[in-house]
Formats: sequence, C-alpha cells, structure tokens
Amino acid sequence: MNSWGKVPILAGVLTSLCVGWIGFPRVIYKSRPQPVAFSHPVHAQKAGLLCVDCHAPREDGTYAGVPPLSRCAGCHTANLGPSAAEKQFIAEYVKPKREPEWAVYARQPENVWFSHTPHIRFAKLECEECHGGQERSDQPRPYLEDRISGYSRDIWGYKAANHSRRVGASPDDFIVVPGMKMDDCIACHRSEGLEHSCLDCHK
Amino acid sequence: MPDTRRNVLKFIGGAAAGAMFTPAPWRLITDTALWSENWPGVPRPLRGEISARYTNCSICPAGCAVRARCVGGQPVSLAGVAGHPLSRGGLCAFGVAGHQLPYCPGRLTEGLVEAAAGAIARAAANCNPDAAGTPAAVCYPAERVAVLDLRPGRTASWTYRRAMGAVKGGLYLTAGGPFSGAAVDLAKARTVLSLGAPVLDGWGTPGNVLAERAHFRLIQAEAIESRTASLADQWLRIRPGSAPALASGIAGALKKAPVADMAEATGLTEQQINDVAAELTQHGPALVLPGDDCLEAWAINEQVGGFGVTVVARTEPPVPEAWTKGCAPVTPLASVADGSIRTLIIDESASGDYIPWGGIRRKLVADNPVVIAFTSSPAGYARHSLFVLPTAVYPETLEDIPGAIDSPRAAFRMAVPLVAAPAGVVNSSEFVAKAVGLDAATALRERADAIRKAARGVLITYADGRSRPTAQVAPDDFWKALNEGACWIDTEAQRAAPPAADWTGPGARPAASPRLPLVAVLTESATAATAPASPLMTKLDRESNLRLGLRRAALHPETARSCGARDGGRAELETSLGKCRIEVVVDASVPRGILQVAASPDVIDICGAGARCRVLPL
Amino acid sequence: MISEKKPGKICRYGMAIDIDKCTGCGACMIACAVENNVPPGNPGATDLTGITWLRVFKVDNGEEYPRKESVYFPMMCQQCGMETPCYLVCPQQAVDVDPATGIVFQMPERCLGCRYCMAACPYHSRYFNWWDPKWPAGMEKTLNPDVAPRMRGVVEKCNYCHGRWHAARQRAAEAGLKDIIPGDYVPACVEACPAGAIQFGDLNDPASAPAKAAGDPESFRLLVSLGTEPKVYYHSKKEWARRIGDPSRAPAPKEPSRG
Repeated sequence: MNSWGKVPILAGVLTSLCVGWIGFPRVIYKSRPQPVAFSHPVHAQKAGLLCVDCHAPREDGTYAGVPPLSRCAGCHTANLGPSAAEKQFIAEYVKPKREPEWAVYARQPENVWFSHTPHIRFAKLECEECHGGQERSDQPRPYLEDRISGYSRDIWGYKAANHSRRVGASPDDFIVVPGMKMDDCIACHRSEGLEHSCLDCHK
Repeated sequence: MPDTRRNVLKFIGGAAAGAMFTPAPWRLITDTALWSENWPGVPRPLRGEISARYTNCSICPAGCAVRARCVGGQPVSLAGVAGHPLSRGGLCAFGVAGHQLPYCPGRLTEGLVEAAAGAIARAAANCNPDAAGTPAAVCYPAERVAVLDLRPGRTASWTYRRAMGAVKGGLYLTAGGPFSGAAVDLAKARTVLSLGAPVLDGWGTPGNVLAERAHFRLIQAEAIESRTASLADQWLRIRPGSAPALASGIAGALKKAPVADMAEATGLTEQQINDVAAELTQHGPALVLPGDDCLEAWAINEQVGGFGVTVVARTEPPVPEAWTKGCAPVTPLASVADGSIRTLIIDESASGDYIPWGGIRRKLVADNPVVIAFTSSPAGYARHSLFVLPTAVYPETLEDIPGAIDSPRAAFRMAVPLVAAPAGVVNSSEFVAKAVGLDAATALRERADAIRKAARGVLITYADGRSRPTAQVAPDDFWKALNEGACWIDTEAQRAAPPAADWTGPGARPAASPRLPLVAVLTESATAATAPASPLMTKLDRESNLRLGLRRAALHPETARSCGARDGGRAELETSLGKCRIEVVVDASVPRGILQVAASPDVIDICGAGARCRVLPL
Repeated sequence: MISEKKPGKICRYGMAIDIDKCTGCGACMIACAVENNVPPGNPGATDLTGITWLRVFKVDNGEEYPRKESVYFPMMCQQCGMETPCYLVCPQQAVDVDPATGIVFQMPERCLGCRYCMAACPYHSRYFNWWDPKWPAGMEKTLNPDVAPRMRGVVEKCNYCHGRWHAARQRAAEAGLKDIIPGDYVPACVEACPAGAIQFGDLNDPASAPAKAAGDPESFRLLVSLGTEPKVYYHSKKEWARRIGDPSRAPAPKEPSRG
C-alpha cells in the first residue's frame, strides 16, 4: 500500500522533469529564421574571405558586427552563383536598397559596454573563441529568441557536446558556441587577473 | 485510486520538487528580470559609425562654430570648435541642445502652401498695373505688399529685397535700430557700461564675451538683479524705465552739466552719475551698450570717443553686383505710414527680436489685411496670421548667419543641413521670390561666388582647423568647404565710425496709475521665445531655479502679499493692452513694485518694454 | 572576487571649478543631459523631483543691495573618495567605487529604488526617476549610444561621463595603449563650459588643474568635516564664497529666495 502512495509523487516528479527538460526549451524559444540563407563556407572558402573582411572595425574604432548592405552589395550587384538564396537576396534587399533585418546572436543588454579592440589586440582572442566556428556552418542558425526576454539562446552557449549544433553529415561535425553571459566574461577575466570594477564593462 | 485530492496534492508536490531540478524556474526568474528592464518602453539608442560633422549654429546671430558628434550620420551631441577666432570654442545652453530642435513637440509641419503662394502672387500683381491678366477688381495703389524680416543681414534678406524691388510699391522692412551696420569691438574696451543689455547672458557671442571678460570693468545699470547685474563689477540699481534718464544724465555729466533731475528720475545719487561719467573718460576706451528702451544711449559712445575704436562700422560680405540694382531699400517698420500695408509677409523662420504685435498691426490696413507668417513655432506671429507656413529649423537648414554685434569684421558662415527637414516645410525666401516670379534657388551659391571673387579675407575650415587666404582656394572648393563647416572672415578693415542711425527710443513710458501699480520687466527665458527650444531646457527653468520658466512671473514677497498672490499660485497679468495667465513665483531678490516676467510672445504683446500692470490671483 | 593585480595606471579623477568664472548660463547642465540621455522633465516635475545630474545654484553673501554679491555654483556628484556614503548604504551593491579611476559608479540596472543612497548623500547629488522617461517623438534618435537610458524607479547620478571614458579607453586600445591618452577624456560639462570654469584632471598628477587646486589656499571643498574626501575643488577669490562649503554656516532666516 505504501509503495502505491508514492506513485503520484513520482509521477509528479517525472512529469515536471520531462516538461522542464524537454517541453520547456521548445516552448520558451521562438524560432526566427534569418532574412537571408547566408552560407559562411561559401564565402570563407570559395570566395576566400576572412572574418575581418566583413566583420571589421570601422574607421572610428567601433565594431561593425553585422556588415551593412553596402558591404554585400559591393560584390553582389548581380548573381555570382546559382543559388536561390542569392537571387532572393538581390531581389529583396540589394535592388530596393533595403537593409536586411539580421538577428544578432550576440546582442547584449543596453547596459553592457563591450569593445572588440582590447580583446583582439591585447588578449589576442580569435573570433571563434567567443563566437564559435561560424565558417563551418552552411546555413545561418535560426535565431532562437527567448519569448520573455527577447535574447538569443546562443547567449547561454553550447558548452556540452550534446547541446552543440550539428552542422554537417558526420556526427563529429559540431560547432561549440561559448556562452556570452556575464559569468562567461567574468570567468575569463578572473583567470587573467583583470576583474576590477563594474565600470570596466557597464554603462 | 482512493483519496483523489490527496493524490493530486502529492502529484503537485512531486512536480514542484521535480521542477527545482529543471532549468525552467531559474530561467523564468532570469528572463523576467531581463524583460523588466525593457517593459517600460525605454528606447534603445541607435548604433552606427561615429563621425564628426561641422556647421555653424543659426539659433542666434552669434553663429558659433559647431562640431556635431554623429552616430550613423545622426547628430547626438554638439560642442564648440576650439580656437575659432569668433566663437572662441564656446556654445551656449541653447546651442548645446540644438540638434534636438527638429523634434520639439508642437512644431509646425503643415500649412496652406498653395493658398499663401496665391495670395502673395495676387498681391504682387495687383500692385503692378503692367502685369498681364491682372483682375480689374482690387487695386489700391496706396496699400502695399511688405516683407518684415526679423533677422536682417542674411542672403535671404537680399532675396526679399530683390523680390520686393520687383513688385511695384513693395516694401522691405526691418525692426530698425542703430545696430545695423555697426559692431562692437570688446577687445578694445576697458570699461563697459551696459544700460540693461544682457552682456553676460546671451548678448553677442558668448565665447567671445567670456574670453574678453577679464579685460574690462563692467558696470550694469538695470532695475532687476539679472544674471549680468549679479555678476557685473558694479551694479547700479535704477528705477524701472529710467534708463533713458540715466543715458541723458551721463551725456550731461560728460559735458559737465548738472544732473540733479536725472539722479532723481533714476534713483541714483548725483555723485554716482558723475563717477560713472568720470570712469568712462578716465578708464577708456569705454563702451556704452544700450538696452531696448534706451537706444539713445548709443550716442554716448561718440561723446567718449568710442566711434572708430570700440564701436566701428561693419561691412557686409560682398554681394553679387546684380542684386544691388533695383532692390528695395531697407526701411524701418516705424517709418512706414500707419494703415498702409495690405499684405504683410513676416519671416519668423530665424529667431530675432520679437516686435510687439500692436506695433505691427498699426501699420496694416484696418480691415482684412493679409498676414502670412513663415515660422516653425505656433507661439509667435502664427497667432496673428491668416496663413502660417512651416519652415525648417536649425540643423535642417542651409542658410547663412548675419554678423554678430560683437564681431567687427564681416564674416560669412552657413548653417548646413545635418538632418533632413520634414516634407511639408518651405524655404521662406525662395517661396516669396517664386511667388513674385523671381528664381532665388541658387542665391547662396551666387553669394559665395561673389565673396570668392572679391578674393579678400581668409577661409577657416573646421574639420582640419586650417586658415587659408581666400585667393588661394578654388571657387568650387570654396563653396564645398562652406558646406562642410567653415567660415569666411574679412580682412581687418580700417576702423570707421559707424553710420548715422536712428537714436530715438520708443517714447515716454506710461505713467503710474492706481489701477496698474506694478511695472513689468521682461527677462530671458529658456523655453519661451519665438524660436523653438529643446525640450531639455526644462532642466534650466523647471527642474532647477536657474531661469524663470515660461508663463512664470516673480514678485517680491511684500509685493506678492499686497496683490494677494502666493508662491506657485495662478494669477492673471493685466496691462492696458491685454491679459494673460501666469504662475507666480515669490523671490526676495526682485525689487518691490516690479513684476519680473519671462519674455514670451504673448507676454511681450501685452507688456512691451516695461508696461504698467497688475496681478490678480485666480 | 576582485583581482589582486593592479590594473595599470591608477588615477583619481577630480574637478577644479572656478566659481568666479561661472556665469550660470547652464550650458554645462544641458550638455550633461544630452550626453547622458537624461529625459526632458515630466510636466509635473519641479526642482525637487527633476533630474539634473549637474545643477547650477545661485548663492549670495546674504547682504542686501549694494553690498550683495552672488556667485553661480555648479554642483554634481562629488565622487567621495573616503567612506563613500552611497556605496556603503546600498543594499543592492548598485554603486561601485572603481579603484583605477576613483569614479563612484552608479548602476541603475541593479538599483531597486529604495533611495537609501539619496538619504545618505550629504550633497543631494542623486536623483530618482519618479516617472517613465519620455522623449518627444523622433528625439530618441539623438540618444547617446555610449550611455544606457534608465527606467522609472531607479536612482541615477553623475559618473564623470563614463561613456566618454569608455570611448577614450577604446581609442587608446586602438593605438595599442593600455592606459588612456591624457586629455582624451573630458566630461561633457567641462567641454561645454564657455567660460572654462570647470576643469578636469587626475588628482594623482601634480600638473593637473584639480591637483593644483588641491594645494591652493583659495580653493575649498564642500562639507570637508564629514570626512567624505570629495574630489571636486571649488575656487574663489571671494572670502565669503569660500565659506559656502562650511556646514556650520547656517543660513540667516529671511524671505525665500529662488535662484
């Protein structure tokens, strides 16, 4: 009789574990595709571009994360390849001179101040160390937008292998995207002995 | 299973315990915190490339040089240009927030453009019997078309003069006064006597005044403790309205005439007046600056030998030869016969002195005058006009700025567009010109070309800080530089005496009456005026006590008690010309019997320069 | 846990304000509001409920005309260097004193709006957002991206234009330097003052204006006896003005006088 009495409790525990681990992530995120099916491998390998050719510091030192339309239109005034994605891009964005409304995975809250320059020049970080190996992903990841806060799931990072994003045919083709929460920044700063004051990173 | 309710509770308890081991509740807490940062609708600032653009501020004739910090082309903050010979790197409170002027609430953006164009065209044609197709109906040769230019000295002013010259009987009017054609050289002055001019509070070019401040002794003669009076080296507190008496007292003292009557009128002692006169002669070069109600004091400069030293003639930048032929002469408003203007066009697009409406109304025909106002603000002459046409405001305009009062050398500088103007606005001078059949769309380019052709002076470009002789700059480069933030300054001219001017003041003040016991004295306001002011100006007059705010009037506590008004209470200000609603502020620094009121168009209309008034609490 | 390793050059940023030069024009107040995304005053705001990170007061010597003398007095956060009151009382640790610059940094995102810091601040330099910030339509385009706008219900104050400090650090990093280029970092009020009354600099640098003011007998600070070690030095040749900061100077009871 006593073992039957535990059934509802166990049933409750199991249900909430399932809901919490499987159902909740599905529900909390809203998937938003990027406006253009941009392929990093095509641009990195076929066109031979490096990260800095498009994601470059501007003249004034600030970082243009997502390049403006003018950067893409510099090459894509006409079709350069056979893909439908490029046709759609030229028809919907280049011709009418409309900026694509890219969803930025790394978007931080307004009170965060981050400057790429010291991280690239002094810490000598590579792009992949914070943004993951984008050049291997053939499609842009869908932007999984948290329904309540509006931020991307990528902020939480894909640290463990089975949370990583599968990119290619082989099961070994995962890209690991590090998280971009404050804890992740602090962890690195702490290990480098650069954790000093709130003013360093906040505005 | 028996006891279903208990099982349900066990289920819920188990679920709650299990939930603690899932990410759900922890994520929901974090997400809600993040969401709460955004729910009040706080806007996100725009991102973009940071760049610097240069222009000249056209809010007032000081025309200070401006460096705009732009994000993606949109100005987000303004600062002065260090080392500029005219503005000396300074920018006043209004200039610092100038980039917000396009977004002032209540700014006009729509008007009956075609109807107004038609009215002007008809008025011009009616006065010109040679025009083909003139309707035989209304044609009264004695009733004229006039343009009232509240900021004369611009290239637009020349366009108006040409337009009115093309119309038979067309008039080009300004407020008049002795300052046109004359300028003050503060650097030469060792003693400055100001009869109410706000020398340290918005007069001239702020950066220049403050840069020269240490070199002269400032005596301020004023009825109220204005900002200038409290900061001057000496403040002579005179009775309100007695500045003309003081002026004639000093003129008399300089000739060693007796000054007893003047002392009586001003409330000063004879010794004080004689001391001031002595100081003007012994610690010269001296400069006397008149206030609005004592223009005759300008003549004292001649007496103390200031003409050609501290007060000099200022030439205009060169003008294309063709413009000077057949253009209407500059006519002071006061010299026009009463009731002789049928169609009046008022250019209030650039802020200037606000003339009380009564002085203008007098000059219009008694019934059905047509008044067309070019303005961006509903608070000024728009209230009295039949047609109101919206104009662009400061960082949207391409216009030149006339010389400042404290700038002896002629200068040409343009305010260049940093943001796009809204769709419905018109360019006032081009509009009037087109309505009378004149094409003035390239007036500024023609002016710049004429200046370049004269090959005098230097061109100072702000982006690189260079100063080059005009002759060394190619004409196209000259125009291009002026459009990117630059300034042309004439070579040092010979110091000539200023031209003869109208010295007479506005006339006798109304006498005291038991019904109107107080004297209204107008002060500068941060949010009033005819020009739109940034919404941030509330920092100066509502969120602090630095300035008197719009529709506020200050009274001494005893005066307030005698009126029955209390601090913060609403009241009605009544003069012989009308009434308006105000809020009373009690301030012990206001002299007794005086109502110190923030100058805004509706208040100026009923007060003029120091009318008698009373305050009725509501 | 804060790293032990010293972060490079240690500065103590301070100000030297010559109140004889200040004309009360208010350009500094407006420049501060423009730089730091302070919203225009709510229609119901008064001088007690408005937000003026920098506020200019008019102070006089208590005499009547003709012996009356006045000065204009700019007041902002004094960046207390010792026993910083707001930092000590905040239950949320929403205030942080930066060891590298001496700036007392307010973080409105952590603030819960208890206003204990406003009670603790002896200089009344802290301001509360009583209303939702509202910018007229279109004016939000003129917001400064280097400073985060605040929401209703939090406290904010002068941070010596931390947005400009960040920009200076970035420019220095561009040039390969770990410390900012001296003179490249100037708060908005210092840049805006047409009279040059407000000077800014590093108190640890003996050649800077504030360091020189610190040693000048004609300079004074406010409420020194409280032991807060404010970093703003005021200067005046007028002896009565130098006693403004003395807490024992009780105002003589007289009629109310607004600025």
